Amino acid sequence: MESKFARRTLLTATGAGLITATLPGTGRAAGKKWKIVLSNSYIGNKWRIEMENLFKAGLQMEPYKSQVDGKWFNSGNNVSQENQQITGMIGERVDAILVDAASPTGENGILAQANSRGILVVSYDNVVTAPSAIKVNTDQFEFGKKLATFLAEKLKGQGNVIMVTGVAGTYVDQQRNAGADSVWKANPGIKVVNRYTGMWDSSTAERNTAAILPSLPKIDGIWCQGGTDGALKAFIAAKRTPLPPTAGEAENGFRKFMTPAGYMGQHVDGLSIGQPPYLVLVSLELARRILEKSYPRKDITIPFPFVTSETVKVGETVFPDLPDSFFADFTDSGPNATVQVCVDAALNGTPCSGSLDVRLPTA
Amino acid sequence: MSERAAAAATGVAAVAAQTLNKAFGGVQALRAASFAANAGEVHALVGENGAGKSTLIKILGGRFPPDSGTILLDGEPVRFSGPADATRRGIGTVFQELTLLPWLTVAENLLFGREPRTAAGLIRRASLPQDAEALLDDLGISHIDPRALAAEISLSERQIVEIARVITKKPRILLLDEPTSSLVEREVAWLFERIRELRALGTAIVFTSHRWNEITSIADRITIYRNGSEAGTFTEIEEGEAITLMTGRRVDALYPKLPPLLAGAKDMLALEGAALPGTAAANGQHAAELSFHLRAGEILGIGGLAGQGHRELFLGLFGAPPLARGKIAVGGKHLRIHRPSDAINAGLGIALVPEDRKTEGLLLPLSVRYNLTLPILRRISRAGVIRTPIEARMSRDIIAALGVRTPSAAQRVGALSGGNQQKVLVGRWLLAESRILLLYDVTRGVDVATRHEIYDLIMRLAGEGRAILFYSSDTEELAHLCHRVLVLRDGRVAAELVPPALTAEAVVSASMRQARAA
Amino acid sequence: MPRDSADEAAGRWRSPASHAFGQHIGLILALAILLLAIVIFSVMFTIQQQRLPGNFEVTSTVNNTMPLAIAAIGQTIVVLTRGIDLSVGGMVDLTNALAAILLRPNLGNQLAVSAIIIVVGAAGGLINGLLVGLGRLQPIVVTLATLSIYQGLAIRVLPQPGGAVPPGYTGFLVNPNAPTALVFLLIAIVLWLGLRRTRLGVDIFAIGADEQAAIALGVRAVRTKIIAYTLAGALYAVAGLFLAATATAGDATTGDSYTLTSIVAIVLGGVSFFGGRGSAIGAIAGAFIITMIVNILFFAKINPLYQAFYEGLFLVIAVVLGALIGRLVRARR
Repeated sequence: MESKFARRTLLTATGAGLITATLPGTGRAAGKKWKIVLSNSYIGNKWRIEMENLFKAGLQMEPYKSQVDGKWFNSGNNVSQENQQITGMIGERVDAILVDAASPTGENGILAQANSRGILVVSYDNVVTAPSAIKVNTDQFEFGKKLATFLAEKLKGQGNVIMVTGVAGTYVDQQRNAGADSVWKANPGIKVVNRYTGMWDSSTAERNTAAILPSLPKIDGIWCQGGTDGALKAFIAAKRTPLPPTAGEAENGFRKFMTPAGYMGQHVDGLSIGQPPYLVLVSLELARRILEKSYPRKDITIPFPFVTSETVKVGETVFPDLPDSFFADFTDSGPNATVQVCVDAALNGTPCSGSLDVRLPTA
Repeated sequence: MSERAAAAATGVAAVAAQTLNKAFGGVQALRAASFAANAGEVHALVGENGAGKSTLIKILGGRFPPDSGTILLDGEPVRFSGPADATRRGIGTVFQELTLLPWLTVAENLLFGREPRTAAGLIRRASLPQDAEALLDDLGISHIDPRALAAEISLSERQIVEIARVITKKPRILLLDEPTSSLVEREVAWLFERIRELRALGTAIVFTSHRWNEITSIADRITIYRNGSEAGTFTEIEEGEAITLMTGRRVDALYPKLPPLLAGAKDMLALEGAALPGTAAANGQHAAELSFHLRAGEILGIGGLAGQGHRELFLGLFGAPPLARGKIAVGGKHLRIHRPSDAINAGLGIALVPEDRKTEGLLLPLSVRYNLTLPILRRISRAGVIRTPIEARMSRDIIAALGVRTPSAAQRVGALSGGNQQKVLVGRWLLAESRILLLYDVTRGVDVATRHEIYDLIMRLAGEGRAILFYSSDTEELAHLCHRVLVLRDGRVAAELVPPALTAEAVVSASMRQARAA
Repeated sequence: MPRDSADEAAGRWRSPASHAFGQHIGLILALAILLLAIVIFSVMFTIQQQRLPGNFEVTSTVNNTMPLAIAAIGQTIVVLTRGIDLSVGGMVDLTNALAAILLRPNLGNQLAVSAIIIVVGAAGGLINGLLVGLGRLQPIVVTLATLSIYQGLAIRVLPQPGGAVPPGYTGFLVNPNAPTALVFLLIAIVLWLGLRRTRLGVDIFAIGADEQAAIALGVRAVRTKIIAYTLAGALYAVAGLFLAATATAGDATTGDSYTLTSIVAIVLGGVSFFGGRGSAIGAIAGAFIITMIVNILFFAKINPLYQAFYEGLFLVIAVVLGALIGRLVRARR
């Protein structure tokens, strides 16, 4: 145990020392590309498909096109299969592995081995707990807190709220709920009249909301971790209109309600925050920069992309022609955007024009 | 004097049952049934199917307990906790349903529960085959490979292994439930030789059979069962009298009169140049081929030793699977039969009634009606929907016509007795209007009374002008139920017998003559 | 009754080797498919990497397959009795979660915790066995229900992925530096061959082949089934321990996939679903075939979107091939 601790401190120390400039003689030899591989545990939902599309698009754009030799693998949400694929990656002696893991802990063993063989491991979204892996993520506690704060302000600290939660037993769900609860505690006038799961899925959220709604009093605000458009559709079906202020995820359908024109004849005053699929691009950039030794080996947290009913923009952060289930947060927006990509990259994995500029937090 | 002999001398039965009762569901299988067998005697237990013979043997074998009543061993009341307990007390049982485990070898089956062990108590799997071979050799069995899986050997071989397993445990009471039903004559002779040896050693032997000649040839005493209780025990009894006791009805003659064969009857089925698998002809050793004609209203018997391809012939004519060689003509027209549906739909309609009705003919968990109308569903359907009133009427009529003893057409076929199951199978093909019937050992395991009903049925079917190809493992049946018998040997017709030359003895000797010489 | 000419012609007496070949065709095929997969992988790997697969590839393949291989042995025992166990996933989840929270770096704790966890697994199996044996319920229904129960318990034990497995424990079970875990497989095989030579082993095969016949032969079918499920449960617990050791931490959901993969493994391993035929050695081979298929697909550079498709395709080919060859061999005899 002691030696492991010592090694970690050493790594952090050396990492911090190498902040800028590729040193001559180190890093990528001229003409050689970094081998960076994506291990995606699961390709069964829209978010993961968009995420993987962004990765594919990114690889075809500069600077990655000339510097990175990238590949990606999926593994049916099966830990031992993902482990076996990572074994193959280690066997191929890649330079870096990006992981969206099937389990926060299930791959720790093999990732530690990758690390001990000098392979950089960057984990994002469903991050792993392995100490040797660099983590790129958003702050999930903050996610829940921000949604709740929005409602507290809209309701001026007074009213009935429902909470549509996520998949129980996951770290993300637990953190988001805790973030919300911290706000409710500070606002005793707000009453959470019901709390049920939407499983981060629009149709489940719609079904569960429809089932529970008849038993509820007037609802003044909706707090929803995922499947927001589904919850709103259930309100419309139950004729609980106009729709109350809503704080939710980044589904295109939800954002359609937030536009001035509205959707299905309804307008929603809302806040939409997403777990951005471009986390994969941030991880790719981080891996490239660490390999180039132009960025320290450290975990980074990126800000959430969010829009409100005031800032939502057709064609940029909401797309009336795309399906409701599309995640409209594939790109960041605004002057301080982390990354900006075109919609085709998210939809089809085709590259956008120009180069790809990912802004990492200042080291 | 041994204890056993002492018991026999004092007149105490080696095994006895007193006022046994046993019910399965709503059916009372035994009612106050009694039975006793002495050491050193062969005691036959006879009766119709459903008379309670098998239930009695299962209770005496410890397979299940009686609802009430007493079992006595040497006069002492006992209670078996299971088959293993009965075995420990010296009772060996060959149950009617074979108990060989299909995926274990003959050796593993033979030595099941008494395998040779190492010092550490582990089974010496490597020495099982030799041990088994030695046991089989002692019993005079040399044709069964102890390394073969039980699933790989023939039905009669399985029966022999089953018997061997029980008698090598040297039981002092041996219960045999229809041990001869799947054996051919020389195997029956082998079994009876073993039984006589055991009798001489003082073993009490109880056995059931539907073959009267076997019973009279070996039994010292005969107990007749009817409706779940004893109808009498005899040291000598005539067959007719026995049947009357078994059925409660008088039976006029053992075999019915054959319907006359019409002179101008046309050929309904012709086979030319068939090669039967497993015979020299099929192996291409010499070009022996089988040909025959079957006319309307004729009952043509096929005889010969086991292994002469009878089964393959019957299955082949039904296309399950087809014969390797040979031309088939139905009603004078040549056609190919690749699968059963070809046979069923062939001009006059060919139907097979197999001996193993459980696996080859009937769907046991389903109703009598379902089983009857299965092949003709298309005919009685309109727009793909079965017209149930028609289905119900047809099955009711056929049940009545054939005298199938079933409470209703909705009864599970599996719940009927063997003979009645056989009638359902015949009924199915009558509904399908099949004119050519292939009856393969249809009376096997069928009790005497039902057997007679089936005989009558066969005669009626022939009288109506149907053509019947008939095989039976019982040579008496062949001799008495057929207009003509072809004895097969080495894949060809070795003899064609017609009355008056057609006798059981003639069939046997025609089967054996060359085989012995070779 | 001496042999007669018909017997000679049918050739019923065959050499012991011919019998052994026919009776173990499922196992032989499984080993052949595994060998084939290893050869294909090695060739692909060598061409692409300019070197033979080394210690690392062998070690991590072995370590990664250990939980499945052990779970598949448990599944084999149940399927041999003509049952099926869907609760594998839940049982691996539960024992894996328990391992992650209970294991500490000292040896005494590790021994005690391992023993406790195996007892928990056996208890889980015992419940299955009691319901199937005494309750006379369908195994598929019973174990589907207990699957959910054990999964639920696992989440209660470890609501979020976490915990830690001491490095010493990992090193002992799945040494990352050498394929020493093969020793455990060897032990499992020896125990299996021993089981085949005990009353219990014979009885397990007997009730799977024909339960009624076995009862008539004096086999205590209910008791044998209960023991079979209990034994299987204990093996799933061992699989859970191996999973915790490979992952170095716990997650109450990572075991879920073992329900399906353990069944696939035994099918590949030539264990008959109709009971009474099969071998744990085949099941182990089946588990390794599954891992090798993942390995081969990795180096085949196929479009990741179609990975699942090809995995399924390979499995179907392997199973169909096995069935065809098996049938051919039996038909020729």
